[in-house]
Amino acid sequence: MKQKSWHLDRREFLKGGGMALALPLLNAMSWGKTAPANKMPKRMMIGYMAYGVYEPKGEKDLHHDWNWWPCKDPGPLTFTKSAAPFEPLKDYVTYLRGLDHAGGWALGGHSSGDVFATGADMMNAEKTNNISIDQVAANIRGHETRYPSLVLGTEGGTGSYGSCKTLSHYGPGRPIPSMEKPQEIFNRIFQPYAGKTVEEIRAGLKREASVLDMMLAQSKSMKQRLGHEDQGKMNEYLDSIRSLEQRVERTSRWTQEPLPKVDTKGLNLEVSHKDPLEYIRCMYDLIYLAFQTDSTRFATLMLESESSQGSELWNYATYTLGYKGATHDIAHKRPPESGLWDNWRAQQHAYFLKRLRDTKEGDGNMLDNTVVLWGSAHPHESHTGKKYPLQLAGGNNFGFKHGKLHAFEGDKKVPLANAFVSMLKAVDAPVTKFADSTGEMPILFG
Amino acid sequence: MKLACAGDAEKFSLKPVNCILTLSMICCSTVALAADAEGVGAAAFNSQVQPFFKTNCVKCHGPEKSKGKMTLHTLDGNLNGGHNVEQWEKILEALKSGEMPPEDEPQPKAEDRLAVASWIESGLRRYIEANQKVEPVATTRRLTNFEYQNTMRDLFGFELKLSDKLPVDPVKAYRFNNTADFMLLGPEQLDRYRECAQRVLASAIVAAEKPEVHRTKVDFKSDRPAESGVQPDEVIPGAENKSLRLKSWPQTGEFRMQFTASAILPAGIHEMPLRLVMGYNLDENSSMFQMEPVGTVTLKNNLDHPQTFELRGRIENYPVRPGINVERRGVQPPTMTVTLQNLYSNGRPNDNLRGIEYSLPRAVVSSVEFEAPILDVWPPEHHTRILFPSPLRESDPAAYVREVLARFLPRAFRRPVAAAEIALFTEHYQQTAATFSSFEEAMRDTLSLVLVSPQFLYHTDTAADGTPTRHYELAAKLSYFLWGSMPDDELMSLAAQARLRDPVVVQQQVLRMLADRRAEAFVENFTSQWLGTNKVKGVSINRDLFPRFLALVINGERAGTEVPYRPTIRDYMCQETAGFFAELIRQNASVLNLVDSNFAYLNEPLAQHYGVPGVEGLALRAVAIKPEHHLGGLLTQGAILVGNSTGSAPHPIYRAVWLREAILGDDVKPPPAEVPALSDSAGKAADNATSIAEMLRQHRKVESCSDCHVRLDPWGIPFEEYNSIGRYQPLVPKNGVRLRGFNLEQDKDLAGYEAYLKTVNTVKLEAAARVPSGPEINGVAELKAYLLREKKTEIVTNVIRRLLTYGIGRPLTFRDRFTVESLLQQAKTNDYKLRDLIVAVCQSKTFQGNPIKSSASTTP
Repeated sequence: MKQKSWHLDRREFLKGGGMALALPLLNAMSWGKTAPANKMPKRMMIGYMAYGVYEPKGEKDLHHDWNWWPCKDPGPLTFTKSAAPFEPLKDYVTYLRGLDHAGGWALGGHSSGDVFATGADMMNAEKTNNISIDQVAANIRGHETRYPSLVLGTEGGTGSYGSCKTLSHYGPGRPIPSMEKPQEIFNRIFQPYAGKTVEEIRAGLKREASVLDMMLAQSKSMKQRLGHEDQGKMNEYLDSIRSLEQRVERTSRWTQEPLPKVDTKGLNLEVSHKDPLEYIRCMYDLIYLAFQTDSTRFATLMLESESSQGSELWNYATYTLGYKGATHDIAHKRPPESGLWDNWRAQQHAYFLKRLRDTKEGDGNMLDNTVVLWGSAHPHESHTGKKYPLQLAGGNNFGFKHGKLHAFEGDKKVPLANAFVSMLKAVDAPVTKFADSTGEMPILFG
Repeated sequence: MKLACAGDAEKFSLKPVNCILTLSMICCSTVALAADAEGVGAAAFNSQVQPFFKTNCVKCHGPEKSKGKMTLHTLDGNLNGGHNVEQWEKILEALKSGEMPPEDEPQPKAEDRLAVASWIESGLRRYIEANQKVEPVATTRRLTNFEYQNTMRDLFGFELKLSDKLPVDPVKAYRFNNTADFMLLGPEQLDRYRECAQRVLASAIVAAEKPEVHRTKVDFKSDRPAESGVQPDEVIPGAENKSLRLKSWPQTGEFRMQFTASAILPAGIHEMPLRLVMGYNLDENSSMFQMEPVGTVTLKNNLDHPQTFELRGRIENYPVRPGINVERRGVQPPTMTVTLQNLYSNGRPNDNLRGIEYSLPRAVVSSVEFEAPILDVWPPEHHTRILFPSPLRESDPAAYVREVLARFLPRAFRRPVAAAEIALFTEHYQQTAATFSSFEEAMRDTLSLVLVSPQFLYHTDTAADGTPTRHYELAAKLSYFLWGSMPDDELMSLAAQARLRDPVVVQQQVLRMLADRRAEAFVENFTSQWLGTNKVKGVSINRDLFPRFLALVINGERAGTEVPYRPTIRDYMCQETAGFFAELIRQNASVLNLVDSNFAYLNEPLAQHYGVPGVEGLALRAVAIKPEHHLGGLLTQGAILVGNSTGSAPHPIYRAVWLREAILGDDVKPPPAEVPALSDSAGKAADNATSIAEMLRQHRKVESCSDCHVRLDPWGIPFEEYNSIGRYQPLVPKNGVRLRGFNLEQDKDLAGYEAYLKTVNTVKLEAAARVPSGPEINGVAELKAYLLREKKTEIVTNVIRRLLTYGIGRPLTFRDRFTVESLLQQAKTNDYKLRDLIVAVCQSKTFQGNPIKSSASTTP
């Protein structure tokens, strides 16, 4: 068997606990030991998995062993086989049972992924999706970093109503296309000048401003000619130009700051979906790098979409586990297949959390300064959009207390949006209300 | 779309006999009843319609229950006032088709049903005619990525792959994405448009000085006629060992690849395909394998008659393997490699062959030469098309720039432009030119701006009839429908002459356009979205059960996975479905061929797969078939059968949903929230079930599931005759016996596995189910016969609606129903000929459009 050089790099890197991948960088240096805790960056990441998880009713043997939920009873965590990858992260994870977005109930399991990060009431009150939690934070705090947010997905684009391929939305009718190609993502984050000098970029940006003015004039003249119902389309265009204008300003401001230098050794940016382990980890690595270099503080990652037929994701379980069938179908299997799949996904997410935890930052580590929500809007049973499988991790410096399973059942039921309100407050982007929230979620803070 | 959801609407079952009867009766009696209803609309509502609802409908759609969210008791019968028009249309649909009342409920008398349907229909017609000027839907929308790609190609005269640089467009099974609500635009999209525009112009406009030519050549020597083994100049199936590493290559430009080749063809084989790909060094044990095909040639010549071939392409479209930092060896430079592939396939190359198979054809390649850019004409045509040679360039540069824009803008905007528009861009050029180092660069920048203007990026269908702009919009509508691209000079000149509303001209143009190669893109895009054929590419095929379906990696750490860079039978299956539809257009054959046909569209690997003898080569073509092949129509095509299977087993539900959505035109809702998953409802039985059909039998036993599944499953059960890889399988294992997969030790070889299968597949398969309100149907042949007998109207109507929806880029509303109906009548008297139907769609009122926009004014 011939080994590829990058294979070696990857493995060495894994052995080395991740330190080989990227060196501490210029910006990251400023979060050195001396920086006070309240000056630390406050980050947030949302990850989504599709087709639900295995959560059997049975409590015995096989079924219990392979339950996605780490333990049955609320309180301190013990770990099933499925959740085992998180055992070393016990002090950094909390499981939230019984929560969901009421706005997604009527969508059905395979569509409720649309509202996972938005909580929008797509069926009744709003009829459309709405702003997502990362964008709320980006609107308030996004100016502090080179990029307000990072929107990733494994399938790319926006998807469509009921089968979203992104978690992030600027607002009603404004989904943000997720990026799915590692090389492109890397270039956009770390090599935005595409080989040009800062002077060339600045000259280009100056020109850009006049270009945008002209595009604006063009679209206004076109808009005048359209009927009322078509003008909405032109507004999309106008808004996009305004948003590009802001970006030009922003980019131009950030040319004052040197770009972070990133060592790509061990990072296989050309990996394809044929190699799910490498690919998924690469996507997590990119978020890690963006966080570590303080290029952005808010990221979403649609690890899987709820309608991946026609995409390689449909084959993931085959590639990783040798499972003979579609990834979707494995969710409807019984253990151990279903559990093995949950365990595989848990391993990848745990990998990300560990990388954050193992990177020093101030007195603690990066995970202390990053709150991570991971889950699905589609529990395994019944194609329902209720009672999501959810795990909250990190953000210990923001006051989050971990190591427990909280059950929000019966009269303890509250909207998931309450957790969002608490998360936003934790990252200094406080809002009084998010979607159908009724308050905060104090239990997360012990 | 017909009203039907998995919940209550599943109960809208069809009454075949009634259905035909009522339809024809309505058709001939509309006029009389309409006249009747004119005067006594309200009276008839009170005396006929309301009592009918009360007797037949209100029990389920009234104050107590409102199944399917429909209530009838509150309807006021004032259709003229425009109250609840959509709801009235749904009621009409349900009555006409016989879906309602459900078959297990008492049925109204046929004449009562007819009278009520006629009352609604004439009311609707009068309402629509009297109220033309209301509620137009949005039609302004950005180009889809598919259209963008094609438009850039036709605008510039060469093709760069751009669509994969854009955010992925939304896709929804059985829906077209070229509508305003799908084609959203955000800052990311616009940003990428900027990048694409800059990229294309960097290639389109070349630098003033002639570039250096890059060449690489390799000769493969052999000491033939030695008999021992494969010679160094031979390319065997499945081995990617012949390659050419480019010494250097330019950043942009067209390249030429010349190679001399012949074939060693074993007896009985007359041709073999040889493909050249370029990009990374191919290695099946790496997940890095980016490459793009350069082209495929068919070798029929033997060693004594070597032949020289030439292929061309754009260097920009080929992936460069970036330089990598290898430990201890330093940075390796970027590379580009051309690899030769022997694509011969009769199924055997999928057999995990380890040695050389002398029974398979081999290509012999003596040399390959790469050259770029091609300087035969310099500057290239795509440059002079924009920056045309003219003395003005020297004498009056400002006038030259204006002239360049005056020629380019109308093509980009797909209509004549006003002087002010030219002035706007000219001004931009004047303001910015000084900041660029050359004329070419400044020009590229200004032109790239044209390509991010909304006038380029958006479709508009808004100009009032009678305005000159209207004709240009029609030209674009036709070209985006049938080519997925911008109109050509002929369409533009007809628009200038205001002739595109003339039905004769429309017919001529549609026929011309359908005969053009660009129409292939339409067929491909249209069929893949309508029929959901792309699903087949995502299905994970069980390699143990179907060892011959995929080409697998034999050795190394990726052993057992699919070889990533070889065309597979799945690719051919998608081509089969698109090609089949294109063939129906070419032959102007009946739409009903979609259900059953006397030919299939095959190449050698497909024919081999389906068991049709005598088809050679990779080119797909119409092949006459016999009943024993169990083929014909769409229902038995691999893209449908495999795409709607699990990869291990057929999936009757997927297939049933496909049939109802894609063929019958129903709108099947996904399983409602709160229903248990198939495997859970079947409980322990799921573990023992040998097929999904078996599991469904269990699933139906659960009351909450049976409600829907009783009405869905029967449409999928007949498909059980075709296995997960789309092959006819009359025999299956005995109940409870599971097939084991291919096992090298046990079976020795594939023949051994085949023999094992014969011993296990002993029971005649059961594929019989009673379709809702219809007879029991056993197998796909009976299903096809039933559809052709009883569902003709639904099937043809569905095709009409699909074509029309795709053509106009918006969902149909109740206002379009009479267009659809008249197209149906027209088709009926013309043997449902497909090509004529497409012509008729383009001539129809709905397509030609009468967009009444109060605020629309005439534009230049």
